[in-house]
Amino acid sequence: MNIRAFLGILICRGVKLAAKLLHRGGTAMPGRFAVKVCPDLAAILSKDVRVIMVTGTNGKTTTSRIIEQGLIDSGADYFANRSGANLLSGVTTTLVENSTLFGKAKHKCAVIECDEAAFKTVAPLVQPEVILVTNLFRDQLDRYGEITHTLANIREGILGVPKATVCLNADCSLTASLAGDIPNKCLFYGLGEALGGGEAPAVSDASHCIRCKARYTYQYRTYGHLGHFVCPECGYERPETQLTVTKLLSRDTDSSTVTMEAQGVSRAVRVNLPAVYNIYNAAGAALALTAFGMEPSAAMQCGENFQCGFGRMERFDLNGTAIRMILVKNPAGCDQVIEYLTGLDTAYLPVFLLNDNPADSTDISWIWDADYERFAAGYRGETVVSGIRADEMALRLKYAGIPADQITVEREFDALLQRVSAQDKPVFIIPTYTAMLDIRTRLAHLCGTKEFWE
Amino acid sequence: MKLEICHLYPDVLNLYGDNGNLLCLQKRLSWRGMDSAVTRVPIGETVDFTQFDLFFIGGGQDFEQEVLLSDLSRGKATEIKSAIADGKTFLTICGGYQMLGRSYTTWDGVRCDFIGAIDYETKGAKDRMIGNFAFHCGPESGGSVVAGFENHSGKTYLGPGVQPLGTVLSGSGNNGEDGTEGVRHLNVFGTYSHGPVLPKNPEFADAILRAALERKSPGLALDPIDDTLEHQAHDYMLKRLGL
Repeated sequence: MNIRAFLGILICRGVKLAAKLLHRGGTAMPGRFAVKVCPDLAAILSKDVRVIMVTGTNGKTTTSRIIEQGLIDSGADYFANRSGANLLSGVTTTLVENSTLFGKAKHKCAVIECDEAAFKTVAPLVQPEVILVTNLFRDQLDRYGEITHTLANIREGILGVPKATVCLNADCSLTASLAGDIPNKCLFYGLGEALGGGEAPAVSDASHCIRCKARYTYQYRTYGHLGHFVCPECGYERPETQLTVTKLLSRDTDSSTVTMEAQGVSRAVRVNLPAVYNIYNAAGAALALTAFGMEPSAAMQCGENFQCGFGRMERFDLNGTAIRMILVKNPAGCDQVIEYLTGLDTAYLPVFLLNDNPADSTDISWIWDADYERFAAGYRGETVVSGIRADEMALRLKYAGIPADQITVEREFDALLQRVSAQDKPVFIIPTYTAMLDIRTRLAHLCGTKEFWE
Repeated sequence: MKLEICHLYPDVLNLYGDNGNLLCLQKRLSWRGMDSAVTRVPIGETVDFTQFDLFFIGGGQDFEQEVLLSDLSRGKATEIKSAIADGKTFLTICGGYQMLGRSYTTWDGVRCDFIGAIDYETKGAKDRMIGNFAFHCGPESGGSVVAGFENHSGKTYLGPGVQPLGTVLSGSGNNGEDGTEGVRHLNVFGTYSHGPVLPKNPEFADAILRAALERKSPGLALDPIDDTLEHQAHDYMLKRLGL
């Protein structure tokens, strides 16, 4: 190990210790300092670690946690980064934390979630053995530019790791198109039939062929632009899958049970999270684990023992009020949450939190692309809005059809939580990213849950 | 009273929640007991443009804008120009706004001809102009202060004598240089403002409705409606921009 790497490790540890003494959480800052001293520190520290790297627009965190569960179940010696640490700085911090002072890896394997813009830098450094791309939706356009630009970023990252096995969502025409542009071994996963709502979305993120620009036709749709797409002009279509969800056996508000099939093995799997997008997450995780060397049957099981957390269907109990927190970041994810809410048969209080910090997207126009009309059509009663852009959220709900006098604007999070704790019905909090971090910290404090950086 | 609205290229020009503008126009009509219908006209479809009172064209991705130019050249460009000359009302946003001008030249010099309905041109810049912004509409557009979100790398320059939609109060507007925002020509309202722009700018939304209704039924008044939530969202942003 060279002297710069050693200095980088020292600085990273020093800054982290200082932050801890000041009672500040922080996963990115230590790594940011370390990278300044030693830009390829991540490469040095991950040299002897077998890595599964997860990127894509939606489902990165949940999928990484399911993969983690698979590794736990198989007794693997591993570590993982947290969703707040998915840029180069955070990944570097995580690697330092899991190395000795002299840069020797403490564990054999790792699950690294990587932001899709940072992926082109992080992947070539870390040299993952398996890469999983979950999907591509419009997300934070003000930060990443257009969706095809995000796709190019991911392609560039994979080109820097030609030996990695790449697992791709076959149902996403954008994601699946990567296979044609990279030399890597590619595996695909997908849903074998329309298990979602199956309707065409009002706004598709990919209505025209990525290769020849003709309009896709669909044999079936699952949600958003996902499904069995076919280009009638150039013949580009959903590739064959090596791991397939062939049947939906049952679903309720807490889970789905499906049949998964891979390498000739077929088994019923309970995905311990509701909604169709989590079936995709479990399938992607299972395929990545298979590519990592796990037996298909064991890999498919990983979604069963999985517990949700960190704002993804996370549960809290606040003075007897049951709270579920569901993070939303973009229209596609939001529509899936709305589908879940409209399927509930119990009374509940919905709370929408809209922030516009850079990590949420400073452009909040995406709420107008999400299908709140569907929510408004099925919901009667009070709706609460909060967050930095609470007024805009209130307006969106009004135009969706919620009567203005049923919309409560509660600007302060502390007052909001007081209102929440006084409820006698379950509360669903639907925050954007930084609103989730903020309210989660307050909730964790009130409920005694650990902070995520601990 | 029923307003016939044409949503041009909803299949490709559908970025940044701009469809919220249509929702807003329709709701503001229905809250006043007026009717409206939206006809979606995607790429490859031809319909009789003379049946419409109001046209909406949103913004899109560069990748998809190429698909569009060939469709425009197959007759739609001519139809759009005659609808404009005929005094039909147009709300065009970002890419849709640029499209009605003469041309777009990328930052490295590749020129692309647009339909040239109004005399202005757009030049690509390397840096994007992104963020919340505000402008003051001219009296012919209702005279209100509009708050929105801009996100464009194209800089638009209006030809001599062409009226802007408004004057920039905060942010970049057309090009970040001459203080103009958008275009106002006959009954065309062109702007860079996403947001979507209309819901939290109800006076501007009503100015557009008025233009369309006036042509169809001169003298028709718009009843006042409760815009409390609208004004709260509008005023919050102006305050944040220090206005």
